[in-house]
Amino acid sequence: MNETKQKLHENRTQKQDRTESRDQDRKINWQTPCMDDVSEQVTAQPYIRFT
Amino acid sequence: MRRIDQLRSPLFVSWQLTRDCDLACLHCCTESAPGKRLADELDAHEAMAVAQELIRNDVPYVMLCGGEPLLVAHFFAIAVTLGAAGIQLKVETNGQRLDAAMAGRLAELPIRSIQISLDGATEQVYASQRAGGSLAKAHAACRAVRAAGLPLEVTFAPTRLNIHEAEAVIDQAQALGAFRFNTGKLMRIGTAARLWTRLEPSADQYRVFRQTLARRAGSRSDADMELCYSPFSIEEGLDQSLADPPATLLVLPNGWVKVAAVLPHICGDLRRDSLLDVWDAYRRSWNDAVVVAEAGRAISTAALHPRANDWQALASNPH
Repeated sequence: MNETKQKLHENRTQKQDRTESRDQDRKINWQTPCMDDVSEQVTAQPYIRFT
Repeated sequence: MRRIDQLRSPLFVSWQLTRDCDLACLHCCTESAPGKRLADELDAHEAMAVAQELIRNDVPYVMLCGGEPLLVAHFFAIAVTLGAAGIQLKVETNGQRLDAAMAGRLAELPIRSIQISLDGATEQVYASQRAGGSLAKAHAACRAVRAAGLPLEVTFAPTRLNIHEAEAVIDQAQALGAFRFNTGKLMRIGTAARLWTRLEPSADQYRVFRQTLARRAGSRSDADMELCYSPFSIEEGLDQSLADPPATLLVLPNGWVKVAAVLPHICGDLRRDSLLDVWDAYRRSWNDAVVVAEAGRAISTAALHPRANDWQALASNPH
């Protein structure tokens, strides 16, 4: 788990480096998610079922 | 273009609030059980910060699950905060603590579904699979949910112990007023993987089970309750996800976010990252060679499925 935490930290640093390109990405005409788009099948995927 | 590349944020967030549970189910894929709360689970303040992130980014639908979410002290604070912001909610519970008073509190929220697990039609079979549980309590919870005017959904995890009662559970779910019955192949993850030789239904049992589901799904008398069993297996689900990844984030109790429930990869940490950063990482993860290769291996080799719980951060999320 410690190794995973370390990698997450490294990933965060990389993400900061990508801020500029991500901001450019955000200029894409993103759609705001809405309930009408939610497939009920999505909410009944395996694994989500069996806890 | 993939759907996830068009959406500014996820459509659905499945949020496991805890690993703690009041039951010790043999089939549990998250390995939840009494005393299994993770040491680094989000506290109330941190969980509220995540809730605010979901609100700020217009996530329309959130499932609160676990472990047993109703054991979490800040469960209602989170549910009320999300609900007051207009987020639709699903709550996945074993129903052991869900009485009329609690159903009444839940009925004040924008609840899309209360999902209760009914893994047996008789007390003996139910309790043999859901150790420490009472079928009578689970049924009482279903009735309390319906009496409060809430939508009831039932889930059934087939094992060698209970699969012979599947059709009786479908009958019970229908009689209790469920709008949907969810099932699928038992997943070889977590506790189920550890007990696999004891739990895995035989090929013949699965054949009869599938026939039963198909017959009941086509029955006009069952038209008021949807039978949902597709994708039936991890393999089918991963196949679909590779072709069109779901606009879904799975948040673990410590705030980490998995790329897919059936894969080990972690693409973010909501304790530190914004939801948009995590969503960005999630979308890129489905192009990551490590993720694609692991998904391919899981599709071809069922014996590798238990690796899903060996969480590992992705080394990179290249554009």
